[in-house]
Amino acid sequence: MPEDAAAPRRRALGGPGVVLVVVYGVLALAATGRSVLQITEYFDRAPLAYLLSAFAAVVYIIATVSLALGGRWVRVGVVACTIELVGVLVVGAASYVVPEAFPDKTVWSHFGAGYGYVPLVLPVLGLWWFRRVDRAAHEPAGDATVTS
Amino acid sequence: MLAPLAYGVVALSAVLCLVAVYYAFRDRLIDNLVVILSLLLEVGLVVQMGFGLAGVGRITDGAERATYIAYLVTLPLIPVGTAFLAIKEKSRWAMGSLAVGAFAVAVMSARLLQIWNASA
Repeated sequence: MPEDAAAPRRRALGGPGVVLVVVYGVLALAATGRSVLQITEYFDRAPLAYLLSAFAAVVYIIATVSLALGGRWVRVGVVACTIELVGVLVVGAASYVVPEAFPDKTVWSHFGAGYGYVPLVLPVLGLWWFRRVDRAAHEPAGDATVTS
Repeated sequence: MLAPLAYGVVALSAVLCLVAVYYAFRDRLIDNLVVILSLLLEVGLVVQMGFGLAGVGRITDGAERATYIAYLVTLPLIPVGTAFLAIKEKSRWAMGSLAVGAFAVAVMSARLLQIWNASA
């Protein structure tokens, strides 16, 4: 995505953003690898769960890239984190209410309990961080990079 | 999968995590000790991937096998990525990212061991 020279520079990768990139990156790698194997090897066993896992993996990849690149990707990152938050809340609730629809777990099942509830906390942290980055970019003077 | 190697990987990643946390509190940047620990961990993870994939036939449960292979293949990417970020980032958060990455390696390697031992 091209950077508009007139737009304020919103650099997301800096300070706590680096830690978020690592957490998102690890989750993206683990979820992608697992969902690829689930879909290619035994998709018929739990199609909904495996498709949701794959979708979650794509969202995590987009969020990781957005955090790493910043700039205009901040908006994309906000959308990704919002989808992620809605996903973990809806799928988390559904996995308790209609457990028969999820014969196998997804990353969002039971509000991310299988991953130490990291999937539930992460989008909140991501949205908070993107908000900080956006605010810092619109400050009248100084470096737009958020470092602490 | 070599169980002693897997235990060694868990221990080494725990040490790297503790060192990174200490460095973060002391506001220190990446140095030779951290690079050597990261390299050792990387070598351990690559060897573990080789042995782990060679013995994947032992795991019969499909869901567990998916997790096992996914973790084996993705684990070696973590120390490389976090070390790269730690070199690029010039603040204490660099060591924070390294600590988080090492912690993730420890947890994921422990999960690999759990799957491996359960399939015995």
